[in-house]
Amino acid sequence: MLNTKSLTKKLYRWETFLVILLLVEVVVFGLINPRFLMPRVLFGSVNNFMTISVVALFVTFVLVTGGIDIQSGAIVGLTSITIGILWNDVGMSLPLALLMGLLVGLLCGTLSGFFVAYTDVQPMVVTLGGSFLYSGLAILITNFSSTEAYKGITGFPEYYSNFVRGRFFGVIPYQLVILLFFVAIAYVLLHKTRYGRYVFLCGVNRNAACYCGIRTKRVVMSTYMISGVGAAIAGILLTAYLGTAKTDLGKEITLPVITAVVLGGTSNLGGTGGVIGTALAAFVIGILRFGLSMANVNTQYLDIPVGVLLVVAVAIRFASQNPSFIRLRNKLRRRKDSVNK
Amino acid sequence: MRKQLNIPRATTSVIFLVLMFLGVGLVNPRFLSFSNILLTLNSGVVYTVVAIGIAFVIITGEIDVSVGATLGLTAAISGTLVRDGHMFLGIVVPLIVGIAIGVINGFGVTYLKIPSIIMTLGTNGIFRGMIYVYTQGKWVENLPINFKGASQSLIFGTFTRFYFFTLVGMVLLYFFMTKSRPGRYFRAVGDNPNGANLLGIPVQGTKFSAFVISGLFAAIGGLMYACRVGFITPIAGMGYEMKVIAACVLGGISLTGGVGSIVGATVGAAIMASISRVLVFLGFSSDYDNTITGILLIIIVVFDAVIQKSSAEKMRKQRLAAKIVQGEEVTDA
Repeated sequence: MLNTKSLTKKLYRWETFLVILLLVEVVVFGLINPRFLMPRVLFGSVNNFMTISVVALFVTFVLVTGGIDIQSGAIVGLTSITIGILWNDVGMSLPLALLMGLLVGLLCGTLSGFFVAYTDVQPMVVTLGGSFLYSGLAILITNFSSTEAYKGITGFPEYYSNFVRGRFFGVIPYQLVILLFFVAIAYVLLHKTRYGRYVFLCGVNRNAACYCGIRTKRVVMSTYMISGVGAAIAGILLTAYLGTAKTDLGKEITLPVITAVVLGGTSNLGGTGGVIGTALAAFVIGILRFGLSMANVNTQYLDIPVGVLLVVAVAIRFASQNPSFIRLRNKLRRRKDSVNK
Repeated sequence: MRKQLNIPRATTSVIFLVLMFLGVGLVNPRFLSFSNILLTLNSGVVYTVVAIGIAFVIITGEIDVSVGATLGLTAAISGTLVRDGHMFLGIVVPLIVGIAIGVINGFGVTYLKIPSIIMTLGTNGIFRGMIYVYTQGKWVENLPINFKGASQSLIFGTFTRFYFFTLVGMVLLYFFMTKSRPGRYFRAVGDNPNGANLLGIPVQGTKFSAFVISGLFAAIGGLMYACRVGFITPIAGMGYEMKVIAACVLGGISLTGGVGSIVGATVGAAIMASISRVLVFLGFSSDYDNTITGILLIIIVVFDAVIQKSSAEKMRKQRLAAKIVQGEEVTDA
């Protein structure tokens, strides 16, 4: 009895729904265009949503505490151009430049996180300011470069690009492995450590967390630092994949990132959600876009199905939490129980 | 008490705007010429209109990030209709589309209970895609001269007609929001939705109408955009949502709802529009645009939060002190 209950509970979970959605997508697109199911093609699609996934994984932390982070796109661009300039114009070795890129992401996250945690300004406003500031700084520092801004800095060593572009056995891209690696890291950090519990508690009830002796301000600030580093990692990977360092690399990822996090079951009000959901949602969106474009849908139209998916999925989720719906469900369940008896 | 807190906040933004103009005037006196000030304010007319619309939504404690797509879509629709010679339809149809988008957003937020940021994020994607479907990804060009000329036409020989009507609209809406009963619902709902509900204010209806107003104003913004720019690309209005929200925040509208005014939104939009022109007159390149906007936004908001916090603390202390004094009197008696 208990076993079936926990099983049904698992089946009702949002993640299960996302897995089903993902399978349906693969089957449908496989039927439309059989080429889609070739392992090389299917796994190769990861390069379409790599950046968004990595950023979304770490932005999840921020949303779990009840905040929001709309500056990650700007940090991706700033990291990319920092690496390019440090390597190309300052003459740093590439590994050192990459490290500095991570540091830049950390600093950006820290600055915004500090304002969010230690002053009573809404996270949305701070990160909105941050997005203007960091994208502006990215444009400014291109002036230090000898290359014109719109061209981007190119000519990185081979090993840097191969690090991201290669494939195991010629099939599974390194990118997929890297992505799964970061999913694992984020999962352990958020769901298996004491720090992760603190993050959740800050989202559920910040005052209660504070009274429990948790340094809530530090925890909140740290989530923005994590999300900043996540954006920097995405910047490094994207620069490697494209072989170009540019200021506007992450320009249009902010909204998709929030879409992935929210579709993954993390509430923007904080306290619920998880990394696995975010990762699955990023895959769902990525496969949807990739599959549709393989089915000869104009890539410029792809915002429409993604938007519809977001609205419909979230509407279903919120409707299922609606008191009247729950009452109806309980009523049906009771009726079924009485029939069984 | 709320009122006492509010008046200074919009005023600080005005003072900031005036100081910015004076400061730049010191460096470059040509900036302070009457025509240049008007030109600067006029350059932000589209921001102003959209900011006024979105202010209604933000004041009720929600958010609307679909205004950029709404603006682009309505601009494209009006552009194609006007180009094909349907001047009247080219003005009416976009407004209806804007209202329809507002209705969709309002329906999702109030009836389906989807958080507003998610709902409008979704519709933003949907309507941005619609622009590509509608225009086939092509630019809308060759608009008739008299349509484009509308943005240049002056009133009283100085104001452009658009900015003048925007200001008139702002004043009317300001009185609507502060003096009329349904107008005052917006702030009440944003300040305390449960309290407003207990008072018999239609909370959901007010939020719904806020989204409709936001959609309508984004459509008006789209019309003005089409007139001013003269051609519409599929990415028209992209990123406007963030700039407009920033303008509202600069104008003293709090994203938690219940605080702020239409005047604040107008002033905030004027500040946003001035920044790029100020930079030109100070001899900086426009590369500094985003950096300065970001720094200003963070400084103003953080400064404001610190002041609010300390004044709230001061008031709390006063209240406590008053209580203690009262308590002593009671025991004395």
